[in-house]
Amino acid sequence: MSSDMDDILQIFFQECDEQLQELERGLSALSDGESEHETVNAVFRAVHSIKGGAASFGLDNLVRFAHVFENSLDGLRSGRFAPTHDVVKVFLKAMDVLSDLVNEARGGATVDSARVAESHAELADISGTGGNQNASQAATTEDVIPADFSPVPMDFEPVPTDFEPVPFDFDFGEEEATPAAASLLVTFRPHDALYERGDDARNILIGLTDLARECDGEIQTTCDRSALPPLTDLLPDKSYLSWQVVLPPAVSEDSANAVFDWVSEDCDFSIVREGAEAAAPQEPPAEQPEPAEVVAVMPPVEDHEAPPPAPAPSVAHPIQILSPLPAPATPDAHPGPSPAGSAASSTANGAAQTAARKPEQASIRVDLHRIDDLMDLVGELVIAQAAIESLSRRTDAAGQHELVQSISSMQSLTRDIQDAVMAVRAQPVRAVFQRMQRVVREASSMTHKDIVLTLEGEDTEVDRTLVEKLTDPLTHMLRNAVDHGIESPEARIAAGKPAEGHIVLSAEHRSGRILITIKDDGAGINRQRVFETAVKRGVIPADAVLSDEEINNLIFMPGFSTAAQVSNLSGRGVGMDVVKQAIQSLGGRISISSVPGKGTTFGFSLPLTLAILDGMLISASGSTMVIPISSVIETMIVNQSDVYALPDGSNVISIRGDCMPLIPLATVLKLSNSSTPDSLDASVILVVENESGARAALIVDEIRDQTQVVIKSIESNYRQIFGVSAATILGDGSVSLILDVSALVASAIGHIDIKPSNIRAELAA
Amino acid sequence: MTEQTELKEATDTKIVKMIVFAIGVQEYCIPILSVREIRGFEKTTTLPFAPPYVCGAINLRGIILTVVDLAVYLNVPPQTDNPRRVVVIVESKNGVVCGLLVDRVIDMADINLNDVQAVSEDGSCLGGLVLVDNRMIGLLRLETVVGQLVTDTISE
Repeated sequence: MSSDMDDILQIFFQECDEQLQELERGLSALSDGESEHETVNAVFRAVHSIKGGAASFGLDNLVRFAHVFENSLDGLRSGRFAPTHDVVKVFLKAMDVLSDLVNEARGGATVDSARVAESHAELADISGTGGNQNASQAATTEDVIPADFSPVPMDFEPVPTDFEPVPFDFDFGEEEATPAAASLLVTFRPHDALYERGDDARNILIGLTDLARECDGEIQTTCDRSALPPLTDLLPDKSYLSWQVVLPPAVSEDSANAVFDWVSEDCDFSIVREGAEAAAPQEPPAEQPEPAEVVAVMPPVEDHEAPPPAPAPSVAHPIQILSPLPAPATPDAHPGPSPAGSAASSTANGAAQTAARKPEQASIRVDLHRIDDLMDLVGELVIAQAAIESLSRRTDAAGQHELVQSISSMQSLTRDIQDAVMAVRAQPVRAVFQRMQRVVREASSMTHKDIVLTLEGEDTEVDRTLVEKLTDPLTHMLRNAVDHGIESPEARIAAGKPAEGHIVLSAEHRSGRILITIKDDGAGINRQRVFETAVKRGVIPADAVLSDEEINNLIFMPGFSTAAQVSNLSGRGVGMDVVKQAIQSLGGRISISSVPGKGTTFGFSLPLTLAILDGMLISASGSTMVIPISSVIETMIVNQSDVYALPDGSNVISIRGDCMPLIPLATVLKLSNSSTPDSLDASVILVVENESGARAALIVDEIRDQTQVVIKSIESNYRQIFGVSAATILGDGSVSLILDVSALVASAIGHIDIKPSNIRAELAA
Repeated sequence: MTEQTELKEATDTKIVKMIVFAIGVQEYCIPILSVREIRGFEKTTTLPFAPPYVCGAINLRGIILTVVDLAVYLNVPPQTDNPRRVVVIVESKNGVVCGLLVDRVIDMADINLNDVQAVSEDGSCLGGLVLVDNRMIGLLRLETVVGQLVTDTISE
């Protein structure tokens, strides 16, 4: 398959993704009780577009299913039945199957045919029960049409070499003088609307040709150009031509009808079976110029208001197609003995396509105005640069002053450009969030719970890489919420809650970070059980005294699970710690709040981008280092009386009554050999906090500045360094290290914040 | 390009172009195709927990890489006041870029790999010795040096 074909296929799959999103959005609107005509139409359009596209690529499975889906939706559209809860459920399920089929076509896992068949039957059921007059008839059409539905495999080779040897012939009179007995006569005349819709008479001709080939026959095509005006009057976007096609006798009327399935409203057509002698097709007036001549007549008309030299589609395409394709090179073009045979070969062709497919190229769609903004800013940058250049040539004092000014304006320009580029990379979280609908749907049907997931703030935009990396943690969290968070319907009713559980997934911007919350109205974290399990598993000593928050955080310990039994969904004790790691690796933090009986809320707080960081420049032992601002709580100067020296040589500082370890940065990073100086009086400290809220105070030499830094990997050319998460390049071109605060804090206070709790326990005893 | 591939190719071509540099009084060489550029020695950023032979990190047009002081690495007294010290930026076969701080770059030499005499066991940083115009030149195994740089255990 040519690479052009691959490219087009890629675009098709991208569009499928968009259509599926559209479908999801529409269906969830329907399930929320909205029955706007426009919503139903949008849903219908989405399925229809997928079907149409899939047919062009010969993706049979997809087409067949989409067709049934579309039929059922048509019932909804025409008001034959109402979008009740059950109906929408079936549609949602069908949508899942459809998206799996799209995936399959893309080269993903094969879809379980039983699932497809099940959903298929359900859809047929809906339209069956819905169409109350002739339910059985509706069911049969469902069965018949997909089988007959003959996709038109098209080759998008830019140069239709396949058609090279077309012996096309405008010798009308003789050809249709000898149609075979009882052959099928198809006449059709496209309306202008057909071309306006982007369809083409060519597609119909190809469809008919394929039909003929399936029966080992040939077609005879006649173009009726009687309506064609002289070239001077020719309007390029009007349809002037009509065709007569004589199909071999073996072709059934139904299958010929199916070719016109999509265009029935946009063209007049008739399909008649007839004897050879009956009504020989009328001969087109011989004096009409044939299309080929139309072009030839061009020169003489030149001095007129010349019509566009590009002929109307109705003229251009027939030339390529006016006869049966003489065995072209593509495998699916070989005449198949039966529809089944041709379907099989085109599926095989499809498989070959997917196998040869290149790994998906990452691309994003960006609003044009964002690119324009960026362009404007770059334009300004060029101007600013020119200004600085000219100013730098001046030597007087005023010039110097202006230079400083224009450099500072350049600074703000740079910041603007950075924001603009970030905006280009930003993507709404909708894509991930909508995938979660399905996760919840599947998980709740597996656990036999009735759960509604409400999405809020799907339009919140975050960096593209973040969007992708959020999928796994969110899937884990939502499965957990379904499996552990929400109680069984019986328990809910017993607790005086509605049987239907609610989960809210929301996203919002908050002070330069994105906050994602997952809120369920379940039973809340059973702290007693969490505590007991933790003791049983030896995570904490039995006599530990933990605050509620500390107990909540225990669920993030590796291997921790309170589930009485391992289910398909969760309970294996992997998950929450993975979630925590994933979120932390994105520079995020997790917070939990849980009210027994009322539910649990998990909050992820994530940076907006992974490429740029707001940092505080500090220096320690002569090295300049960067500490992420997000982890700095406060900065202060030590008062010696607040410091308490521990026997092992380390120090603790009390800040407004909170004790925390003092970390001499230079010593911890082995940058200086001297141990902590005797007096800490008047040293500068930064109070920092890690994800779990544990604090420590870093002793630094000096706080230099607060700036934005670009994150650069240090591991790609070196190894991991303890206490260092990455590096950056400062204004003077030198390298500076970005500190890994959570590692530093963790090493200072031990693994989890249980040390003080032990002491509390001892004191309590 | 690396020694290994160079050595393999050597069975066909025998001759490999090497860049020769000095560390202390000894001369060493590495295949010229593994060299990306040579630049002056500038101030490096000290890295915590770094082995003694790592000078620190520098910024090479947006890429952060470490500079290895080959003198320390090869147990030769470093010439800290030598103005001819330069950093040879090399790229290993798995794409790791690092700088080698050498005392001075001497010249280029076509080295016939058949003339290389093994002097130490496998895994050492020295791939052998070769005689060029009566000068003894050591073949430095780049992969060993870089491999050590990337995987050495971190001593906290």
